[in-house]
Amino acid sequence: MPYLGSEDVVKELKKALCNPHIQADRLRYRNVIQRVIRHMTQGLDMSGVFMEMVKASATVDIVQKKLVYLYMCTYAPLKPDLALLAINTLCKDCSDPNPMVRGLALRSMCSLRMPGVQEYIQQPILNGLRDKASYVRRVAVLGCAKMHNLHRDSEVDGALVNELYSLLRDQDPIVVVNCLRSLEEILRQEGGVVINKPIAHHLLNRMPKLDQWGQAEVLNFLLRYEPRSEEELFDILNLLDSFLKSSSPGVVMGATKLFLILAKKFPHVQTDVLVQVKGPLLAACSSESRELCFAALCHVRQILHSLPGHFSSHYKKFFCSYSEPHYIKLQKVEVLCELVNDENVQQVLEELRGYCTDVSADFAQAAIFAIGGIARTYTDQCVQILTELLGLRQEHITTVVVQTFRDLVWLCPQCTEAVCQALPGCEENIQDSEGKQALIWLLGVHGERIPNAPYVLEDFVENVKSETFPAVTMELLTALLRLFLSRPAECQDTLGRLLHYCIEEEKNMAVRDRGLFYYRLLLAGIDEVKRILCSPKSDPSLGLLEDQAERPVNSWASDFNTLVPVYGKARWATISKYQGAERRGPELPDTASFATSGPLIPEENKERVQELPDSGALVLVPNCQLTAEYFEKTWFSLKVAHQQVFPWRGAVHPDTLQMALQVVNIQTIAMSRAGAHPWKAYLSAQDDTGCLFLTELLLESENSEMQISVKQNEPRTETLNSFISVLETVFGTIGDIKS
Amino acid sequence: MIGGLFIYNHKGEVLISRVYRDDIGRNAVDAFRVNVIHARQQVRSPVTNIARTSFFHVKRSNIWLAAVTKQNVNAAMVFEFLYKMCDVMAAYFGKISEENIKNNFVLIYELLDEILDFGYPQNSETGALKTFITQQGIKSQTKEEQSQITSQVTGQIGWRREGIKYRRNELFLDVLESVNLLMSPQGQVLSAHVSGRVVMKSYLSGMPECKFGMNDKIVIEKQGKGTADETSKSGKQSIAIDDCTFHQCVRLSKFDSERSISFIPPDGEFELMRYRTTKDIILPFRVIPLVREVGRTKLEVKVVIKSNFKPSLLAQKIEVRIPTPLNTSGVQVICMKGKAKYKASENAIVWKIKRMAGMKESQISAEIELLPTNDKKKWARPPISMNFEVPFAPSGLKVRYLKVFEPKLNYSDHDVIKWVWVPPGHHTSASPPSCFAASPLHQPPSLGLDQPHRERDWWSSPWAPWAGWFLGLLLHHPSVCPGPMPGSVFCDQSQVGSLSSPPLWPHLSGVGGLAAPHLGAPPKASNGFPALSPYSALG
Repeated sequence: MPYLGSEDVVKELKKALCNPHIQADRLRYRNVIQRVIRHMTQGLDMSGVFMEMVKASATVDIVQKKLVYLYMCTYAPLKPDLALLAINTLCKDCSDPNPMVRGLALRSMCSLRMPGVQEYIQQPILNGLRDKASYVRRVAVLGCAKMHNLHRDSEVDGALVNELYSLLRDQDPIVVVNCLRSLEEILRQEGGVVINKPIAHHLLNRMPKLDQWGQAEVLNFLLRYEPRSEEELFDILNLLDSFLKSSSPGVVMGATKLFLILAKKFPHVQTDVLVQVKGPLLAACSSESRELCFAALCHVRQILHSLPGHFSSHYKKFFCSYSEPHYIKLQKVEVLCELVNDENVQQVLEELRGYCTDVSADFAQAAIFAIGGIARTYTDQCVQILTELLGLRQEHITTVVVQTFRDLVWLCPQCTEAVCQALPGCEENIQDSEGKQALIWLLGVHGERIPNAPYVLEDFVENVKSETFPAVTMELLTALLRLFLSRPAECQDTLGRLLHYCIEEEKNMAVRDRGLFYYRLLLAGIDEVKRILCSPKSDPSLGLLEDQAERPVNSWASDFNTLVPVYGKARWATISKYQGAERRGPELPDTASFATSGPLIPEENKERVQELPDSGALVLVPNCQLTAEYFEKTWFSLKVAHQQVFPWRGAVHPDTLQMALQVVNIQTIAMSRAGAHPWKAYLSAQDDTGCLFLTELLLESENSEMQISVKQNEPRTETLNSFISVLETVFGTIGDIKS
Repeated sequence: MIGGLFIYNHKGEVLISRVYRDDIGRNAVDAFRVNVIHARQQVRSPVTNIARTSFFHVKRSNIWLAAVTKQNVNAAMVFEFLYKMCDVMAAYFGKISEENIKNNFVLIYELLDEILDFGYPQNSETGALKTFITQQGIKSQTKEEQSQITSQVTGQIGWRREGIKYRRNELFLDVLESVNLLMSPQGQVLSAHVSGRVVMKSYLSGMPECKFGMNDKIVIEKQGKGTADETSKSGKQSIAIDDCTFHQCVRLSKFDSERSISFIPPDGEFELMRYRTTKDIILPFRVIPLVREVGRTKLEVKVVIKSNFKPSLLAQKIEVRIPTPLNTSGVQVICMKGKAKYKASENAIVWKIKRMAGMKESQISAEIELLPTNDKKKWARPPISMNFEVPFAPSGLKVRYLKVFEPKLNYSDHDVIKWVWVPPGHHTSASPPSCFAASPLHQPPSLGLDQPHRERDWWSSPWAPWAGWFLGLLLHHPSVCPGPMPGSVFCDQSQVGSLSSPPLWPHLSGVGGLAAPHLGAPPKASNGFPALSPYSALG
C-alpha cells in the first residue's frame, strides 16, 4: 500500500491540531481537520489524533462539526473511552435551538458504534421522536434502529415499538417511511413490521406524497399485506395503477412486483400488468443510463421465461448498437435468443449472424451460442449459418461453432448429416481444449459418416505427446475406440499406438487408467466393447439438458425486482445460502480491523462468489428418526410456521421423492400411495441445534400445485427459510425430471 | 439499503468513502478496486458480487461510483440513487471529475450525510439540499432563515419552499431530443425512436401554478374535432407519444383524466418530462458512404450527406466524423462545402459545415493511405457519426402553450412575452450530446466495390469488410423553445387570437413573426389561468 509513513503524518497533524495559533485561525484549523479526513478516506489509520479531534468538535462552525463527527463515527469503536468524552458535546448539541444542529448531533451520536453508548443515546432519541421539527424526527426514528443494532440480542423495547407505530401517522412523509424501515430492523426476529389493514390503507393513501425512494420502499412493505376480500384487492390495485407509469423505473418495478404478488390468483390480471409495464420496461431497455438498462434487460429475460411471446413484436429494440457496453450486448443477445418466433426468426438470425464477426471474441462467441440455442427450434437455418461461419477460419469462431454442433447433434439428431458435412477442415482452426474435445467427440460418435475422420484423429494421436489438456487425451481415447468399432481397418494401428502411449508414457493417472481400462476391455472381446461403449443413449427428450420448461409467473414473482434476476437463480442460491447465517450472528464490526487485504480479495480476479465455510448455515442431521406417534403428537401441538405452494406437474412418484428427500436428510414419516387423490406426505427433519421441522405435502389432483406446510418447534425464521429453500431445490429437481 | 458508498478515480484511488452499516468493512473498498477497476478483462456487469457483497457501480467519465450492500436490494433503485447522487453533485460543482471531487470532498461528505442515513435514502432534492448545505459553515443564521430552512426541509411540497422572490420572473424551456436509428443493409429504416426530454429552468416567485401543453395526439383529437382543416394545412400537427414520465411535481391524476400537465415547479433547473415516440419520425439527414479499396495500402472514401427537411429551414453546426483505420499514414481530403481535417489523434476525419439548408446535398471525398501492417489486431470499425442542430424536433413535438399563474403575487402586470432563441452553447444545461448509432454490423446502403473480391478476403485484409460501415446519426437537438421571459409571461387572450400562424417551430426567425400557438379555439381561461400561450409574439 502507498500509505507508508503514516506515523509521521499523524504526528505532524497532532502538532498542528494542538497549535493554539492554528486553533485561533478558523480557516487554518478547518484545513487541518480536512487533511485528517482526507487521510482517513485513503485508508490511513488516523485514530491517533482522536483526542485532538474531540476538542475540535466544540465549535460553532457547522461544517467543521460535521467533519469531526464523521471522524468520530469512523474511529469510535477503536477508542471507546475517548469517544465518551465527545458525548457531552453531542448531548449539548441535541438541545440546540437550531433543528439542523439537533439532527446532526443525534445522527452522529447514534452512529457511534461502540459498546455502552446506548445508555447515553436513549434519552436524546426519545426526545427526538417528539421533536417539533420533522428533520429531527427523521433522524431519531432511524436512531432507534441504530440503537437496536448495537445490541441485537437485547429485548425489544415494547414502548419504543409502540411509539414508532404511532409515528406512522406523522405528517412528514420521510418520517413515515423511516418508521417502517426502523421497525423492520428492530422486529426482524419476529418477522418484521406488521402491516395490518389500517396501516396498509394509511400507507396507500400517503403514497402520492412520498418521494421515489419512499414509494419504492412502501411498495415493498405492502407485499406483506394480504387483502381480506377480492373487492379490497382490486381497490388497492386501482389505487396503485398510476405507479406503473411512474418516472422512476425502480418504482415501476416495485409496483409491478406488488401487482404480480397481490394478483397471484388472477392470471389474467398478471398478464395485464405485464402488458402495461411493457412500455416502461422497453423505455428503460433503450435508455441512456446503461446500468439501469442492464437491470431492465435482466427483468425482461425473467418475464420471457413465462411469456415467451411477450416482447416478440419489439425484437428490434433488442438489437445491439455499436456504442453499448459489453454487458448490455450480452444480455440483449440472450433476450433475442428467447423471443424468437416464426415471424421474426429470419431477421433475428440475420442480426445475430452479424454479431458473430464482432471484434470482441466474447461477444462473437455469445452470439454463436445464441444461434445454437435458436437452432433447437429452427434447425436448418441455423445450421446453415453456423456452417458458413466455419468458412471464416477464425480460431475463436470455429471452436465455439463446433461446441454448438456437439450440443445440437445430441438434441436434434436430424441435423447430424449437415453437421457431418461441415466438419472436415475444422481441425486446423481449433486450439483450445473445449473445442478439441467437442470435435473429437463428434468424430468419434459420427465418424462413419465423415470420410476423413480416422485421419483427423490420427493427427491428434501423432501430437498427443504435446497435448497439454488431459481431458482431450481421454476424449481422444474414447472417440478412437468408438470409431474403431465402425471402421476397424483404418483405426487399428492408430488405436494401438495411442493405447501404448497412454499406458507406457502418460504421466496423468486418470488418462493412464482410462487407457488400461480400454485395453482390458478390448481383451474381453469386441462384443463386450460394443456392449459397453454403444449402450443405449439416454433419451434426449428427457429435458435434462434443456431448460425450456415454461414457468408460471408465480414461480418468480417473489424474485422480481430483487437481485435474483440480475445474478441468475443458480448463482443467487450460492450467494444467499450463507447470507441467512451471517445475519444471525452478532458479528464484530469490521471497522475494528483495518486490514487492507482481507478475505474479500481473492487471489485472482475471479468474479465467482467465494464460498467461505460458514458454520452457521442450516445443517440437517442425517439420523433423525421419529416415531409416527411422536410425529403425530408434535404435529398437532404446533402451529404452521410457513405455508407455500410449489408448481407441480403430473402425478408423484413416491419412491423418487423419498429417495431425493433422503439425500438431503429429510425423513419421510408417512406417504399416500402413488396416484391417490389427494396425495399427502409427512416429512420430518432436524438440524444440528435440535430444531425440528415437520412438513406436510399436499397435492390436489385438480390444480397442478404442491402445497407444503412446515411446522417448527423453535420459531427461527432464518433456518426456516433455508429449510424451505432445501425443499424447493428437491422439488425443482424432481419436477424437472418429470416434465 | 446501501451499506456504503465509495468514489474512485480511474487508477482506483479512493476519493470518497462513506460506510453506513457495520456489515460493510473497510476491506470492501479494496475488494472493489482489485476485482473491478483493476480487472484485466472488460467489465462484465454493473453489479458485481464479491464474497457475498454486491457492488453496484456507475462510471462517469473516469470516475467510479460504487454502492455496496449485503442485502437483496432492488437493482434499479440503487442505480437510480447513484444517478441522483451524480445529479446532485453536478448541481453543486458542475462536471464530475477527479479534480472537482477532490476540491469538494468536504461538500460531498456533507451531502452523503444528508442524502443517506443508515443506508436509507432521505431527502435528495437539490433545491432543498441547497438551502442548508451551503459550504459557508459559519453563516450565522437568523431565526427567520432557520425556520425557513426547516419548513423547506420538512415541508409538504418537498421540492419547493415558500417565499421565493425574484426581481425578474423567468422561465426557460428546452426540448432536447435524440434519435435512435437502426438501418438494414438495404438502407431501409428498421426501427427508429426519439427519446426526448423537456428541461425547465424556473426562476419564479411565490408558488406559481404552471400548465404546459404540447401537440399530443390525444389532446388534439379531443379539442380539435371541428377543425380538421387546420390539420391538413400545416401537415403533421399532432404526435403520438408512446410513453412519457414526469417529474414528481406534475399532478399525475390530472394528466390521466384530462391529459393536462399542471405543476408547481421546483426552483431552478429540473427535468419536467421524458417521452418516447416511435411513429412518423423525421430523419433530418441521410448519410451515404462509399468506400473503395485501391490495393492494400490505399482507400478511397466518399461520403454524401443529404438534408431531408424543408428548404426554408437551416441546420447548423454540422459535424461529421468519419473514422479511419488505425494504420492510416496520411489523408487527402476534398470537400465542396465546409472544412474537413484529418485528426490523427482521434483516428478520424472531422468535417464541419456551418450551415446547410433543407433538401440539399453535400459530399466529401478522401484518399486514405495506409501503412502496410501484418498486425492481427482487428479494427473495430466504428460508425460514422454526425452532430448537428436543427430548428425542429424530429419527433414533431411542439409546445402549444405554457401558462403560469401565481394566485397571491399575481404577476399579470406585465403583458409581454419575448421569445429568444438561446444558442445551445450558452446553456449550461445542455445535455451532453449522446451518440446513437445503428447496429454496428449493418452494411451501408450502397457499397463501392465489387463484393465477391472482398468476401473472399473477408479476414485477410484488416479493413476489408466495409460491411462495418453503417449509418450513424448523432443528434443534438436544442430545440430551445426558449423563453427567457423578462418580466413575465402573460398577454391577453385577444392578442393571441390575432396572431398569424406561421407554420413551424418558433425560434429560427428570431423574435418577429413567431409561430401561432394553438390549433382551433384559443385555450380557455376558465380555471383562472390567464390563458396565454407562449407562442405569442413580442408586442
